[in-house]
Amino acid sequence: MRCDFCGHEFSVEEANTGCRGCPFGGNCHMLKCPRCNYEVPKEPALIRKLKKIFGKFTGVKKEQ
Amino acid sequence: MSFLKRKSSCHGPQPDASCGAKKVALVGNPNVGKSVLFNALTGAYVTVSNYPGTSVEVTRGTMVTEGQSYEIIDTPGMYSLLPMTEEERVAREILLKDSPDLIIHVIDARNTERMLSMTLQLAEAGLPLMLVVNMMDEAERLGIDIDVALLAERLGVPVIGAAVAKKRGLTEIRHNIAHYTPRKAKLPAYSAWLEKDIADVASLLGGEYALDRKATALLLLQRDQTMMEMVAAGEGENYPVVEALLKEKTFMRRESFHLDLSVERKGIAKALLEGVFRAPEESRISMSERISTLAVRPWTGIPLLLLVLYFGLYQFVGVFGAGTLVDYLEEGFFEGHFNPWITVLIKDLIPWWAIQELFVGEYGIITLGFRYAVGIILPIVATFFLFFSLLEDSGYFPRLALLVDRLFKKIGLSGRAVIPMVLGFGCDTMATMVTRTLETVRERIIATLLLALAIPCSAQLGIIMALLSQYPRVLLVWLACLVIIFLVVGYLASLVLPGSAPIFYMELPPMRLPQLSNILTKTYSRMQWYFVEILPLFILASVLLWIGKLTHIFDMMAEEGGKVMLILGLPKETAVAFIFGFFRRDYGAAGLYDLQTKGLLNPRQLAVAAVTLTLFIPCVAQFLIMKKERGAKVALAIGLFVTTIAFGTGYLLNKILLAAGTL
Repeated sequence: MRCDFCGHEFSVEEANTGCRGCPFGGNCHMLKCPRCNYEVPKEPALIRKLKKIFGKFTGVKKEQ
Repeated sequence: MSFLKRKSSCHGPQPDASCGAKKVALVGNPNVGKSVLFNALTGAYVTVSNYPGTSVEVTRGTMVTEGQSYEIIDTPGMYSLLPMTEEERVAREILLKDSPDLIIHVIDARNTERMLSMTLQLAEAGLPLMLVVNMMDEAERLGIDIDVALLAERLGVPVIGAAVAKKRGLTEIRHNIAHYTPRKAKLPAYSAWLEKDIADVASLLGGEYALDRKATALLLLQRDQTMMEMVAAGEGENYPVVEALLKEKTFMRRESFHLDLSVERKGIAKALLEGVFRAPEESRISMSERISTLAVRPWTGIPLLLLVLYFGLYQFVGVFGAGTLVDYLEEGFFEGHFNPWITVLIKDLIPWWAIQELFVGEYGIITLGFRYAVGIILPIVATFFLFFSLLEDSGYFPRLALLVDRLFKKIGLSGRAVIPMVLGFGCDTMATMVTRTLETVRERIIATLLLALAIPCSAQLGIIMALLSQYPRVLLVWLACLVIIFLVVGYLASLVLPGSAPIFYMELPPMRLPQLSNILTKTYSRMQWYFVEILPLFILASVLLWIGKLTHIFDMMAEEGGKVMLILGLPKETAVAFIFGFFRRDYGAAGLYDLQTKGLLNPRQLAVAAVTLTLFIPCVAQFLIMKKERGAKVALAIGLFVTTIAFGTGYLLNKILLAAGTL
């Protein structure tokens, strides 16, 4: 994914979450850019599923 | 903690071929193909270990070419020799402490001018350097032509054009590594004032350092902490003289040293690329670059910002979202159809008055909590997040950070604080947590205070826009009050809290045409979170209000609060909105919306109520996070300060408006 503030590209594993002690307890589904800490929303499961279905119909495959 | 892991090898463990080998470090921005080059040079057998004392992974491997063995180090991505992140610190530590025999700076051919700035820094540091202009194939596809031989001649270091993912240029890179001889790069001078500052500092340095004196002096002028510690150790008794000069110089240049230096480097890079980098006419100054330039220059950036706010926030969120959509949902659907139907249904099903009140009473879960959440808040946050995602996806926010950097420095912050401030318009609670990323404690406290005081969250902002859009003069009064309070309180806080002016420098990612799929995904994601988070809280608030009503505690609170409202020149019923505001900012604003639709507030009262409620104490969740991030004392002090300022401003505003008789 790409940070919308500084343009840094990072994977979900690299992202900061900052959930410890937060009253939202991880329910905000936000990931923080490891470079500037700007918050980027995690792709919702529904969108992932839709993309998968759409990909099947169009024959688009994710690049490895 | 350090750990080692090796990629599996069918030949079992191998002897460390890197013993006594020359070291070659690959450096560069993230995503320029460093790791692809590393893999191409080293093959499968590599060592991945955490850099000592950090969680940053550094990969090392071995290359054998022309009978000589080399240890290749793949460093974490870095944008500048002045580190801002742990990864950049590690990358620079490797350059300083591992003393590589050769540093290969890998850049993206498409962004040669932007990335050449770091090449200049590496060359200036006197490090043994080779430049690999990677992704040449991509650049050629865009019609870009790069004369690498001319660039090599101008820089005085080897420059190789490559497309390592397609194995282009690898033989040349290996050959140049094998035959590299250290040489001094040719570098154009900075402007006279900067060269003088550098020379003044460099002339005082007597110790031996890993970087050239010029680069060391420049990093000192940028207040690089690691370099200052190194120089303090290296200079010994002489250090106070160096430090005194640095203090003098950095104070003189405190306003814009980083920006000036960045502009100078950009100018040098541009001059070096004259005749080297040729792009098709239309791609030289693209529309996005033009907009980017307009967005960061004060004379064009501020009108552009006002236009964005007028159309995006006022017209789209305020008039359309909070006006048209809310009218349709709240008045049309809920008040017109759903609430009367559900009230009759519940009253038929449940015979007990108290339980009926819990669901469909004045403060009922369905008639108040659910109606507020779905009928009022949902359309507003939907339009707000749509507008927010559009700006976000276009790359406007980093330009906004640069635009307000100078202004923010006056209030003890820097452009970096735009991150929590912008996020605060989404949710102040999460934005308060983000303040921890600001450099100094002083900045964190000022940003936390301003978020609690003068940054309304999305739903609160939308509802206030909806309320005030019918009265443009009231809207102007509200906006002026918030801006003045934000700047005055920030300025006073920066005077009261000790500390120096923060530094802010960032590389701007390119602006781009927002992608519809990105905007919709982000909007959906944020709305999903918001709705899941607010609905239970609104239900809880309704239950608490119901208990309060049954036990008459709520009536007592409203009665007592009503007295304060009268002092502010507001009808005593407004106290209800303020009590709601304790639970959540947006709940309070929705309460105000109800009062306005009942015709209880005239324009003056609306202005006073909107200003006071916006400045009023942060919601419970924000208060909790303030306590966690800044400690109980600071959180309590901010809470008390915010309440005093809110009611004080409301009182004064009422008196001023009454005296002026303008509203």
